[in-house]
Amino acid sequence: MWSFILRRLLVSIPVYLGIILIVMAALRVSDPVYAYLGKNATPETIVAKRAAMGLDEPFLVQYAKFVGRIATLNFGDETSPDPRQRYESWKYAGQSVGLKLRQAVGPSLSVTIPELMLTTTISVIIGMLCAYFRGTWFDRATMALVVMGMSVSVLVFIVLGQKLAGFSLKDAFGIDWFSPSGFEPWWERPFLAFPGDPAERLWGFIPVASPALAMWRYYCLLPVLIYVVVGVGYDTRFYRAVMVEETGRDHITTARAKGAGRAKIMFVHMLKNAMIPVITRVMISLPFLVAGSILLEYQFRIPGMGKLIIDAIRDKDFPIIQAFTAVFAAVFIVTNILTDVLYALVDPRVRLS
Amino acid sequence: MLTGLKRAWESRAARKFRRNRMAVAALAVIALYLAVGLWVLSVDGLKALGDSTGWWNVRSAPLVDALSTEQAGAVVGPLEEPGFGIKPRPEERLTAVKARLDDLGKAFRLRARGGEDREARIRAALAEINYGAVRVADRPVEELRAQWEAVKRQYDTIAESPNLDRDPAALPALRDLEAATAALFTEPGGVRGFLQDFRLSLGTDRQGRSIMVKAVYSIKVAIQIGLVVAIVATLLGALLGAAGAFFGGWVDYFVVWLYSTLSSLPDLVLLGVLVFMFTGSVFDDVNRPYLSLVPLYVAMCLTFWIGPCRIIRGEVLKIKELEYVQAATAIGFSRLYVLIRHALPNTLHLMFINFSLLFIAAIKNEVVLSFLGLGVKSGTSWGLMIQESTQQVINGFYWQIGAATAFMFVLVLAFNILSDALQDAFDPKHVG
Amino acid sequence: MPAGEPVLSVRGLSACFRTDLGVVTAVDDVSFDLSAGETLAIVGESGCGKTVTSKSIMRLLPERNSFLSDQSRIIYHNRPRRRAAAKDRLPPGEIELAHADAPTMHHVRGARIAMIFQEPMTSLNPVFTIGWQLDEALKYHTDLSRRGRRRRAVEMLRLVEIANPEQRIHEYPHQLSGGMRQRVMIALALCCEPDVLIADEPTTALDVTIQAQILDLMAGLKARLGTAIMFITHNLGVVAQFADRVLVMYAGRVIESGPVRDIFHRPQHPYTRALLDSIPRAGNRHRGRPLATIEGIVPSLLNLPGGCKFADRCPRRRENCVEREPALEPGPDGRPVRCYYPHHEPRVAEPGGRT
Ligand SMILES: Nc1ncnc2c1ncn2[C@@H]1O[C@H](COP(=O)(O)OP(=O)(O)OP(=O)(O)O)[C@@H](O)[C@H]1O
Ligand code: SF4
Ligand SMILES: [Mg+2]
Repeated sequence: MWSFILRRLLVSIPVYLGIILIVMAALRVSDPVYAYLGKNATPETIVAKRAAMGLDEPFLVQYAKFVGRIATLNFGDETSPDPRQRYESWKYAGQSVGLKLRQAVGPSLSVTIPELMLTTTISVIIGMLCAYFRGTWFDRATMALVVMGMSVSVLVFIVLGQKLAGFSLKDAFGIDWFSPSGFEPWWERPFLAFPGDPAERLWGFIPVASPALAMWRYYCLLPVLIYVVVGVGYDTRFYRAVMVEETGRDHITTARAKGAGRAKIMFVHMLKNAMIPVITRVMISLPFLVAGSILLEYQFRIPGMGKLIIDAIRDKDFPIIQAFTAVFAAVFIVTNILTDVLYALVDPRVRLS
Repeated sequence: MLTGLKRAWESRAARKFRRNRMAVAALAVIALYLAVGLWVLSVDGLKALGDSTGWWNVRSAPLVDALSTEQAGAVVGPLEEPGFGIKPRPEERLTAVKARLDDLGKAFRLRARGGEDREARIRAALAEINYGAVRVADRPVEELRAQWEAVKRQYDTIAESPNLDRDPAALPALRDLEAATAALFTEPGGVRGFLQDFRLSLGTDRQGRSIMVKAVYSIKVAIQIGLVVAIVATLLGALLGAAGAFFGGWVDYFVVWLYSTLSSLPDLVLLGVLVFMFTGSVFDDVNRPYLSLVPLYVAMCLTFWIGPCRIIRGEVLKIKELEYVQAATAIGFSRLYVLIRHALPNTLHLMFINFSLLFIAAIKNEVVLSFLGLGVKSGTSWGLMIQESTQQVINGFYWQIGAATAFMFVLVLAFNILSDALQDAFDPKHVG
Repeated sequence: MPAGEPVLSVRGLSACFRTDLGVVTAVDDVSFDLSAGETLAIVGESGCGKTVTSKSIMRLLPERNSFLSDQSRIIYHNRPRRRAAAKDRLPPGEIELAHADAPTMHHVRGARIAMIFQEPMTSLNPVFTIGWQLDEALKYHTDLSRRGRRRRAVEMLRLVEIANPEQRIHEYPHQLSGGMRQRVMIALALCCEPDVLIADEPTTALDVTIQAQILDLMAGLKARLGTAIMFITHNLGVVAQFADRVLVMYAGRVIESGPVRDIFHRPQHPYTRALLDSIPRAGNRHRGRPLATIEGIVPSLLNLPGGCKFADRCPRRRENCVEREPALEPGPDGRPVRCYYPHHEPRVAEPGGRT
């Protein structure tokens, strides 16, 4: 297995270098410095900015240097006196690109990991139920609801969810569960506490509380729930299709001919086969975990990867865009390899070679 | 050609599609949207043409003019008014009256200045007052002023009432006041009156623009982007995919490399980066609004060709192995001929399905990108409307988000139903 | 069980599908008996309803879009018989299967009536081991312990002549060749000692030498276990060698039936005769399309002709053939035939060799 992973990594290198090439070229189609500084910048400031970023060098030199940065995972050190070493974000002077990226990982993952887990579990279950009750009113109603939900823009779910749970819940019922926006590093709080004050106790009497989780709930649960509502729609359709396809397989007829019951066929024969597409889908969405759920982060002001990249694009913060795409593509390639490894574990037909 | 169409019409898939009533209805809805979109598009064209040649002034035809770019940006009434003729609470109605009276009052208080005499200045100021189609009544200044003072007194008595909601006498009085205020203005009648009602039917936004006109006008943007992106991306993907599969070798290697490269970024990031490519170029110029959609087209086409490319590449790989294709190649037809004559027509149904799916993707992504400030820059779109309405939603005003959502919902739902029906109709697994 | 008594009686079986273009009757009023220890062959062109008949008996047709007519009767004669450690949950006597409830069918399927399918490559679940899949059937229908089931699985694999059964049991289907998989399918079908084995073209997907091995294996097992076999095939050579009785089907109907010798020597129906004439005399390279020499094609189920369904292609057709459909009645030599003008004279040619 390790030799397989190593071989795949080696094969991926040329592909990855190609990605970097395309991205770097695309980002230089129009002059990034000019785009950032605008029309009113003096030629001197433009030249200075260009030099600080190394944009005045020939493209191939820039390419080589940037690949070197990726290889050494060096996206700047804000304490260094040399501006080239600092590799600062343009918008946030004094903060290196590496720092911005590192800071964004935690907030992103605190939202996306629960999102993915909840969405997948719920939609696999609903998808299976729909396939099981295929053609009945349950199936039809669920599918109609899903198609209708898919026809409403995600933005509407986000904006209305924010209003209803973030504002109205508090205004109308005094329930202050969800922050309408914002984020705090909840993991810095203690995970377990034994409050003396009854008001802080669990259900008023169990003297255990988790300030960290409470804070997570305050800032992250609402985005997670909104995502789940939206995501379950898309995923349910997919998993239902997978399950329906599995029902038509020849070996399912064999199992029925053996005398297996419906539930046995559904949950034993089909589920294990259906795990293969389920895993594919989950693995495909793994890299996008890192990118965060861009719109949610943007609207709820969660300082994660998604907000980082969108803000960077809006602010024309060239160093961040370039580094983000490079890092992201790397994560993508690595998860692809992991997917293949995982396949081999589930599907006996796949051999790693 | 005609026999080909006839054969297609009578094919099994087509019969199956026609029996699906939902799908036919969806097709009708799409056609309706398309018609409205093209209508709006041609109004702008007519207007530009009329302005430059002078042979026809479109503004003289209010029904034609109603959905032009200009009208989408025009102020038609008070700010953030609800639609469906739902009247706001008494206090708000009173405030609306006061706003109008104050506007008039400001004009009447003007003094003579420079060479102009006072009356002329006041008349000029009155002519400036404009609530959409509603203008100050065309009467002598003094007469208007006397009338205005009477209404103002009426207003003051009502405004003194401590609690409008409770006072039973207040409501009729308020109605009288409103009528008296309206008498100071000319309400449009006939076609113009109908248009004014139409404009106010879904309320107004924060600048007093008609939500209805904006939402309908946005159909143009959606249809424009949907059509261009779906057609170009599907064809691009189909050509690249088919070429890769058919010719194999380095062509295929290149196609696969290209799409795996591009798909290693999330769509939204890729779109953003591609839009970023255009910053500072001519396409980013406020003075050339007609070019502002180009970055969006390019970004979406470069992002969305991947889906059809993968699928059609897979299909052509299968078709290539079929006996008759092999035979055609063996007989000595050129490979390009076999590809175009035999392989591609057999992927036509996949192209239709992908076209439909991409149309949805384009509309949805336009909305998201505009929301993020990376999309439509000039004019309006459903995405811009939703973006504008985030603040309104927090304040409890749902008309704008509701209108944008409803208009978009119907179109996207129709396309969703259409894609499902197409997939169903072309599904070879179904017997019959 | 004494030979000669029926284990399965099918009466007036009609199977219908709801399709996009209306309801089609894929199997129309089929009746036959299957006796203990007997091999009944069902032959006919592709699409004539052989598979639908066999799946109807097992009630394996998709519930969503198919149904059996109310008149259909499928009677399984449950006679007391000693089986190794079987869980006997079925009442003795006649059991009607056409409209039986799900629990009854679970006890019948696999235990009393088993089935082998045409496609060995896809008929086994790819993500479970061979052993697991054998074990599952045994778990449903026998009282054996885990160890006992394991022993029985190995024994069955040995019976179907798979080398190294102790190791094979841990392998997955993809690790086996097509012939081996079909052997596993046979083991799976026979492991609970069913009374009836339905084999739906068990060798069509295999190559010729493997076909012969599988057929020999089945013949041997039948002799040993006394299972009644319903054998579905395109291949008349196999029928001649393997079957006791033959049922000829056309467009969802039985058109002629009888002992194998009679069918081959004195076929009465023009279709049966054409079928036999289309067998190449020498060599055996006619796998796939043995019926290519019958002019025309099977009529579509969606618009069947009103009279005799074979009329379009029949050399003996006369005016009245297209008016009303002939009934299945005793013909010149007493066997049932569905034809107004059956052949009287015996056929001269000998059937083709085995394939
Ligand atoms: N699920 C289904 N839905 C609709 N029609 C079906 C279905 N399954 C079978 N049929 C129809 O029933 C008829 C008989 O099919 P069947 O599979 O029994 O033929 P067969 O004799 O087994 O042919 P073959 O030799 O090719 O296996 C066919 O014409 C087919 O169109
Ligand atoms: S009934 Fe007539 S058409 Fe039909 S098989 Fe007999 S002779 Fe031929
Ligand atoms: Mg069959």
